[in-house]
Amino acid sequence: MVKQIIHIILVSCLILIRIETQAQNKIYKTSTGKISFYSETPIENIDAHSSAMSSAINPTNREAAALVMINSFKFKNSLMQEHFNEKYMESDKYPKATFSGVINENVDLMKPGNYNVTVTGKLTIHGVEQNRTINAKITVSESLQLHLKADFNVKLEDHKIKVPEIVFHKIAEVIAVKIDADYNLK
Amino acid sequence: MKKFVFVILILNISVKLLAQEDLLNSLENEQPQSKQLVFASFKGTRLINLHTIETLGKGSLDFRISHRFSDFSTGASNLWGLDGPATIRLGFDYSVSDRFTIGIGRSSYGKLADGFLKYRILRQTMDNSMPVSLTGLVTMNLSLGKDPNKTVLGVDKYEKFSSRIAYMYQLMIARKFNEKLTLQISPTLIHYNLVMNLNDKNDILALGISGRYKITRSISLTGEYIFRINNYTPDQSDLYHNSASIGMDLETGGHVFQVFVTNSFAINEVQFIPYTTSRWDKGQIRLGFNVSRVFAVSRSAKDQKDKIKGEKKW
Repeated sequence: MVKQIIHIILVSCLILIRIETQAQNKIYKTSTGKISFYSETPIENIDAHSSAMSSAINPTNREAAALVMINSFKFKNSLMQEHFNEKYMESDKYPKATFSGVINENVDLMKPGNYNVTVTGKLTIHGVEQNRTINAKITVSESLQLHLKADFNVKLEDHKIKVPEIVFHKIAEVIAVKIDADYNLK
Repeated sequence: MKKFVFVILILNISVKLLAQEDLLNSLENEQPQSKQLVFASFKGTRLINLHTIETLGKGSLDFRISHRFSDFSTGASNLWGLDGPATIRLGFDYSVSDRFTIGIGRSSYGKLADGFLKYRILRQTMDNSMPVSLTGLVTMNLSLGKDPNKTVLGVDKYEKFSSRIAYMYQLMIARKFNEKLTLQISPTLIHYNLVMNLNDKNDILALGISGRYKITRSISLTGEYIFRINNYTPDQSDLYHNSASIGMDLETGGHVFQVFVTNSFAINEVQFIPYTTSRWDKGQIRLGFNVSRVFAVSRSAKDQKDKIKGEKKW
């Protein structure tokens, strides 16, 4: 019994220490990450950009998270933008897309250099969660600024994004997403 | 001891998960708490005959074709009005900014050219700090026809150019109650420089009530009714009737296709609000449709940057 209590105390201490160390460490952050997606259609290409992706990478435990508001995506055609929000993404119900995961490779992001990494975690779009592994290129500069580039594909049906019954634009089943973001240590 | 190791492992894993969630949560907490604007109160910038509070995004050019067939009551030989005579309006709307639209058009009925300025004054927000959207509209209308009675009477009523002009001023107040239902009221003032009939008044007051109800993602039911408020002509209730229409919006990507039945033959407000002569109860209704195609004319990267930074927020 006494042993168990000691164990519990020990474990609690361990957890506390972990949380403490995490709180003290600096984290790479951005709130102006660029994210865009592209889909070629016979009539009009669908091409949207947002420069308001917020993201964080913790160099200590190599955790990464990203978030973008769906209605921050800008289209050239404002009507398309409205349809995208209203009919496809239902952004009043599901206002954001998120990713939260861990970098698999054992890289030290506090050292300048180029790193090709894979990030495994949960991608949530349109309220539907998917486990994904995404390839990313990370460049850490001498002044400890981090630049991340990533390309990945999103299948519409994976996230239950329905293409409406009557639509003149044939929308591709798979959308190519590009991310390009500069992080600062905070 | 095994148990102990297992417990530590489990706890570590859960702490790790917790931390990941924390990283995401910290991002969510740092999101700027900007006011989210309500969008897509209506599918288009027109409902049936009336304007809606909607304007298109900056740099959009909207080409519109509005078409009304003849009465159903003309019977089978006239294919229930589809043989015509029909009336048509062609128009271009251009969005100078996200709030400000200018437009021109030409109706076949009465050879009427029109130009308008439309400005979004207020926008409804998601958090209800602004419960309604408010849009103002001013139109100027120009009759381009010849005076048909000139040879008979020897007087040209269009001798002065200003006699060809009529104006309309309209405020639109709309609220999107939920994803499906939007209602709008439109107090309207119409001014004719030269009255239509001898004993008419120059000014006509009216109140439009319109609404839409979304059935599916691409289809909405629409309806419109316009009350005429003041007495602007003798025998007003016998000669002229309130304009009433029901229809549906079909939206197909870059187009909005609106199809409806209405008792108004004319398409321009200064004509159909005061001078609709057909009645629903006599079957004098007609099929009509509006087609709109939106082209993106210009939207520079700089605009997009400015938009993201956020401007006036309601």
